[in-house]
Amino acid sequence: MSNKKILIVEDDADVRKGMHLRLQANNYDTFFAVDAVSGVAEARKHKPDLILLDLGLPGGDGFKVMEWLAANPYLAVIPVVVVSARTGNANRLKAKKAGAKAFLEKPVENDELLAVVRKTLGEAPKPGKALVHDLGDL
Amino acid sequence: MKGNALQILLVEDSAGDARLLREMFRTETPGSFVLTHVDRMSDAIGHLSKTHVDIVLLDMGLPDGHGLETVRRAHAAAPDVPLVVLTGMDDELVAAEAMKEGAQDYLIKGQIENRALPRALRYAIERHRMQAETDLLRGQQMQLKDEFLSHVSHELRSPLTAIYQFVSIILDGLAGELNVQQREYLEVILRNSRQLKSMIDDLLEVSRIQVGKSGLELQLTCIQDLVVDTVATLQETAALKGITLSSDIAPNLSSAYADPTRIRQILIILIDNAIKFTPASGTVQVHVRTSERDPQFLLLEVVDSGRGIPAGMTEHIFERLYQAPDADKGGRKGLGLGLHICKALVMRQGGQVWATSELGKGATLSLTLPIFSIANLIAPALKGATDAETSIALIVTEMGSQSGWLSKGLEIESSREVRDVLASCMHSDLDVLLPKMGPASGTEFFFIVAVTGDIGREAITRRIRERLEAAEKLKQSGLIFTVSCRLLPAHKHDQEPSEEYVNRLAMKIQDQVDQNLRQKVATHE
Repeated sequence: MSNKKILIVEDDADVRKGMHLRLQANNYDTFFAVDAVSGVAEARKHKPDLILLDLGLPGGDGFKVMEWLAANPYLAVIPVVVVSARTGNANRLKAKKAGAKAFLEKPVENDELLAVVRKTLGEAPKPGKALVHDLGDL
Repeated sequence: MKGNALQILLVEDSAGDARLLREMFRTETPGSFVLTHVDRMSDAIGHLSKTHVDIVLLDMGLPDGHGLETVRRAHAAAPDVPLVVLTGMDDELVAAEAMKEGAQDYLIKGQIENRALPRALRYAIERHRMQAETDLLRGQQMQLKDEFLSHVSHELRSPLTAIYQFVSIILDGLAGELNVQQREYLEVILRNSRQLKSMIDDLLEVSRIQVGKSGLELQLTCIQDLVVDTVATLQETAALKGITLSSDIAPNLSSAYADPTRIRQILIILIDNAIKFTPASGTVQVHVRTSERDPQFLLLEVVDSGRGIPAGMTEHIFERLYQAPDADKGGRKGLGLGLHICKALVMRQGGQVWATSELGKGATLSLTLPIFSIANLIAPALKGATDAETSIALIVTEMGSQSGWLSKGLEIESSREVRDVLASCMHSDLDVLLPKMGPASGTEFFFIVAVTGDIGREAITRRIRERLEAAEKLKQSGLIFTVSCRLLPAHKHDQEPSEEYVNRLAMKIQDQVDQNLRQKVATHE
């Protein structure tokens, strides 16, 4: 079976690379976008299985990206997990309404990131690792 | 000249008094004042909604409004218009209270000198204007500071994320094998970045508390469960330092009226702190019992066997940015915000915080939280309703879904919407929307104690139905609502309701609430 594809939409190069290394080590293929517009373009090009989305992006924020994705029936089905430094319930609710499957607050622990990715992709949690976040809490 | 004339609205039911007051403006320059006179509260509210008014001169005893309630209603109808209260000679205390309800000043009938009235009104207007300006400025400053803090903490999070990621990537061996020393040093980095993260969180929390954004959801809260959970969570941290952490909870404890999330946060701050200042093989204990000093409160104590707090410092430890002067050499100082946050959170829930200590023999940090009591919630409303032909109504709104069970997220969100709708349906400030009364599950109940009499009750039930049906966000949720009303026998009373009466009524309400909640459990078992 081929690896699942994850698109990382994140403007911070270091954070992007960190996520890539961690996901790659866990047998995911990663693609990148650094702003809102390229986020949607890359999604169209690679048809990823999951999108990790930052909220603070140049040229339209993460909410804009979710809006654009939702408008396209082929892209609307891709699950989105928000990874953002924006905190607070207002942002969580807004992200949920925009269609996000989960909301991770930066700085995010690696175990947490992986657990949420696996759960969102419908994969079994890695044995021996507790599932840190219940997605229902969003 | 009419454009510059001061528009005065006089609300006074006594024709004689009104005439006297009108006389007092005679000596003023013609065209400098325009006096409009109405004799009912309802007319006054109507006038305020249609016409520009510079100041309201309000008699506190009207046919359709009495005492402080009048002031509250007038202020609510036009919060931006200054208000001067007219009162009889024996009512000066009440008039002083009126100032707290938003009145600028009060004048005692029969003691107003001719020239003094226009001057008093001009002063009131000027004072009101200056106050409004100050409030606006302060609001802007707070907002700026809030935005700044939120921006800074946001910007600090991104580099921290990268540090976190890469340290853990190396630690997990993704970049090759590590020797013992390398591993140890990386763990130091990881520990410190965690500390940095918690400091940033504190910073954000403080800024939220200061702007009052840190929302509290007061509800019926079982403190016992929260203490047990938190102690279990921190057990490992204590054990690592060789400290015995235990709790001691009095039996048959009443529930508190508090926000459970915040209580957990407070407990973590206090217990964490106690662990930090207690040496190995010491103890940290959490006691909970009813306060002996005031049985309306629960008393929660965190007692440690640490080095204690120096004399004279017990009050200062709650100050913002306070640092223990000789903090552990090994341990790291925090930002000095934990206890400050803790105090602010307790006080906003109606409790108190203090510390007692003997140097070298440990410290006790104590806090109180109000016990949940329906009587306390409804007493002020009943006092305001003394002259109404009151029968008390309990209006029950039930929220459920077709499938029977609600997802947690939907439930919390919709509950909030329903609460907002209900709050907007209530009649004046006499009706009381009770806080959340039971654990959330398939259905959720909301209770309104309506003190406004029969007409108010019917109007409220109808309004609730209509507004719930009209609420856009609820329409999409697919929820079902039922609204029902039960009349509680209440006797008419001429004076202030006695404590016994309030308690009896509170028990009846509690009974009805319990019945509803039991029913809910029964249908879902």
